Amino acid sequence: MKLKIGVAVAAMLAAGNALAAGTTLNVGMGSADAGKLDPHVATTTPDKGLLYWMFNGLVRIKPGEASPAFIEPDIAKSWTSSEDGLTWTFELRDDVECHGDYGKLDAEDVVYSLKRSANPDISAFAKDYSAIESIEATGPSQVTIKLSENVPSLLGLLVPYHGGNIVCKDAVEALGEEYQREPIGTGPFMFAEYQPQQYVKLVANPEYFRGEPKIKEIYYRYIPSDASRDLAFQAGEIDMIYGKQEQSWVERISEVPGTKVVVMKPGEMSVIHLNMTMPPLDNVLVRKAVAHAISRDAMVQFKGPDVTLAAISPVPEGHLGYTADVPTYDYDVAKAKELLAEAGYPDGVTIKAIHTTLPGMLTTMEAIQALLREAGINMEIETVEHATFHEQIRKDMSQVVHYAAARFPVADVYLTQFFHSDSIVGTDTAITNFSHCAVADDEIAKARTETDETKQLELWATAQQKIMEEVCAVPVVQSMQLWAWKDTLDLGVEVNGSLNLSPPVTEAASFSE
Amino acid sequence: MTAFILKRLGFAAITLFAVLTIVFFIVRILPGDPAMAILGDQASEAALKALRVRLGLDVPLYQQYVEFLGGVLVGDWGVSMVSGRPVITEILKVLPATLELTVASLILGAVVGIPIGVWSAVRRNKLPDYVARIGSLLGLSFPAFVSAVLLLMFFSIQLRWFPVISSSQGGGLGEHLRNLALPAINLGLIMAAYITRVARSAMLEVLNQDYVRTAKAKGLAFAVIVWRHCLRNAMIPVVTVVGLYLGILIGNSVLTEIVFNRPGLGKLIVGALNQRDYTMLQGMMVIYTLIVVLVNLITDLTYGLIDPRIKYS
Repeated sequence: MKLKIGVAVAAMLAAGNALAAGTTLNVGMGSADAGKLDPHVATTTPDKGLLYWMFNGLVRIKPGEASPAFIEPDIAKSWTSSEDGLTWTFELRDDVECHGDYGKLDAEDVVYSLKRSANPDISAFAKDYSAIESIEATGPSQVTIKLSENVPSLLGLLVPYHGGNIVCKDAVEALGEEYQREPIGTGPFMFAEYQPQQYVKLVANPEYFRGEPKIKEIYYRYIPSDASRDLAFQAGEIDMIYGKQEQSWVERISEVPGTKVVVMKPGEMSVIHLNMTMPPLDNVLVRKAVAHAISRDAMVQFKGPDVTLAAISPVPEGHLGYTADVPTYDYDVAKAKELLAEAGYPDGVTIKAIHTTLPGMLTTMEAIQALLREAGINMEIETVEHATFHEQIRKDMSQVVHYAAARFPVADVYLTQFFHSDSIVGTDTAITNFSHCAVADDEIAKARTETDETKQLELWATAQQKIMEEVCAVPVVQSMQLWAWKDTLDLGVEVNGSLNLSPPVTEAASFSE
Repeated sequence: MTAFILKRLGFAAITLFAVLTIVFFIVRILPGDPAMAILGDQASEAALKALRVRLGLDVPLYQQYVEFLGGVLVGDWGVSMVSGRPVITEILKVLPATLELTVASLILGAVVGIPIGVWSAVRRNKLPDYVARIGSLLGLSFPAFVSAVLLLMFFSIQLRWFPVISSSQGGGLGEHLRNLALPAINLGLIMAAYITRVARSAMLEVLNQDYVRTAKAKGLAFAVIVWRHCLRNAMIPVVTVVGLYLGILIGNSVLTEIVFNRPGLGKLIVGALNQRDYTMLQGMMVIYTLIVVLVNLITDLTYGLIDPRIKYS
C-alpha cells in the first residue's frame, strides 16, 4: 500500500513538473542584474529585451521582423496623415487593458505616455521626439500628433521600442519612483516579481487584447557568465538563451540535442572610423589605403560566416534607405601601398587606436591590425577598460575608432549619429561622429524632412556615396543577434529579426510538449 | 577585554573613514561616465550633461564628499545611480547569500584542511604527506573560475546531482543545501588548500617541541599527544591564516557567484564597476571594510580562547 501511495505521489509530481514545463519559459540573459525597468529610461539590451514582452506601441513591427517596412496596427487600429505629413491621427482600440488594476487604456494615457517620452527630464529618448509640436486626445479613442517638421519615420517612433512603449498614466502616477522597478504596460506579459541578481518573473496577462498567452510564466534569469549560461541550457534548466556573437558559440550550442539556433537582425555593424582631422588620416589617400588593406571577406571568415555579413555601406544592409551603390574598395595590398606612396608615405604609416578590452571587439580589431600591417600600415592599439574606452573616444582622443552598434533601422539614425557634423565628438551636440565627417550634412538634413519617399531615398543614397568617397569610415562586418531555444518552443512566428534584440515571445508562443 | 574591544572598534572607525575617503575619490578619478551607463551610447552630450547635473556630479568634488559622509553617518547611503534602488536595500538583499557561501566554505575548508594538515605533518616525507602537499598545491594553483566550470561540468551536466543555476528561490532546506553545495565546495577546497599547508607547518614545529618528547617518554598515546596537546598549540597560525584569507575568500566569491549564478556581493560589485555606479561602489566598500575589520577583531579574540596565556590590554 505504502509503495502504491509512493508511486502515485511520484506520478503526480512528475505530471506537475511536466505541466509546469509546458507553460513556464525560462530565459537565460547575459547580464548580472536588471537595470531600470521603465521603458522610457531603459537603454541596455537585457532591459529592452524584457520590456518588449510587456508593452505595446500605437503601432508595431510585425513580430519576427525588425524593419519598419513591416509596421502594422497595435494599440491604434488605424491612422491617417495629412498631405504634408505633419498631422497624424490615430484611432485606438477600445479593448486595451492596463496590467493589474489600472483599468482601460484610453487616449489620455497615450497622450501622457508620448509626452513623457518627449520630456528630457524623464526620458532617455526625448531627442527622438523633439519634432513633435503637440499631442492631443481629440476623442476618447483618438489621438492627434502634430509635427513641427517632417521626420524620417514617425510610425517608427511609435512602435514598442524606447519612447514608443505606451505606459498607463494612473500606474506611473500611483507608483512614482517604484514604476522603474514594477513596470505596468498593456502587453501579453505582466511584471510579477523581481529577485535581485536572479530573475524577473512575468506572468500571462489574462486580459490581453489579442488573447491570453499560452505561456503562463516567464523567468527572465540574469546569468552573466557565458559558460554557465550555456551549461544551464545544456542541463535543460533554461529554455531560451542569449547567445555570444561567435561562430564557435553557434557550432557548440547547435550540438545540444533539440536546439534551434536563430540568427536575427538588426546586425551590429563594426565600422572603423578614421579621424579626418589628425595626420596622416587627414589625407584621403591614406584613408583609401586603409580601406583597400581591409579584406571584408577575410573578416567574415574570421568572425564566422553564419553570424556575420560583409558591410558595404556606412548604413547596415536592410535598413530603410540603405544602398549598395556606393564606392567600394576591394582588398588590394599593392594598391594600398601605392596610395600610401602617392600620399608621401612610401615606408608606410603608423596610426593609433584606443580600444576596449571587450574580447569580441578586441579580436576584431586585432585581425584588422594584422591585415593593415600587410600594407605597411602599423596600427598601435592601446587597450583600456570598456567604460574608459567610451569616455576617451568621446573626448576625441583616438585617431582610429572601432565602433560596433545596432540602431533603429532607418538610414537617418546611422547617418546622423555617426556622420553629421552636429554629432562630432568633443562638441556640445556630440553623439558618435568620431571621424569628424561633414561631407554629407546637406543630404542628411534634407532627407530627414523630405516628404517624397523617392527623393528621400535618393538623398540618403547620395549621403552614403559621399561618405564612402571621402572614406570617413570603413564598414567592416555586421554581426547578427544570436539566440537559441528548445525546438519544443514554438514562438508562433518566423523569426528573422527583432528591434528590441530579444525574440518575440507573444500570446502565440507555446511549447509543443 | 572590554577596553581592548573598544580600542579596536575605535581603530575600526578610523580605518573605515580612511577607506571611505579613498574609495570616494578613486571611483571618481576612474575614467568612465555613469551618465553614459544610464543613458546609453546614443545619448547626446547635452543629455549627458543634464543627467550629470541631476545625479549631482556637477558640483565640486569636496561638496559631493561632504554630502556623502553626512549621508553615511545618518545611515543614508543613497540610491544606485543605475537601477535607482536604495543602495542599502540592494546590499542587504544579497549580503546573506555571500555570508552564507563564505561561512560554508570556511567550515568546509577547516573540516578538510586541518585533519589533512595534521596527518601530513605526522606522516612527514611519507606517501600521505606527498599526496597532501601535491593536493594543496593544486588547490592553490587552480583559478576559482576554472574549478567552478569543471565542477559544473562533472556534477551538474554529467551526474546531474546539482543545478547549474544556484538560485536561492523557494525549496526547503534540502534544496537550499543542494544549491549551496557546489559553490561552497569550490571555495572550500581553495580554503582547505591554504589551511592544509599552514596546519602542516605549524604542526611540524610543535611536534619538535620538548614537551612532545616528554609526553612520548611518559608513554602517552600518540593520538592523544597530537590531538589534545599539539593541535591546540598549532592552531594560532591556522586561525591567523583563516582570518587573513577570509578576504581572499570574499574576493574569490566574486568569480564563484558569477559562474554558479548565485546572488551576492560579488555579482553586485562587478555590475557596479562596469556601470560606474559610484553610490553602489561606495556602499559596497563600507560593507567589505566592515567585514574585514570585524573578522580581524574576531581573529584576535579567538587567540585568547585557544591560548589562555594571551592577555588583552
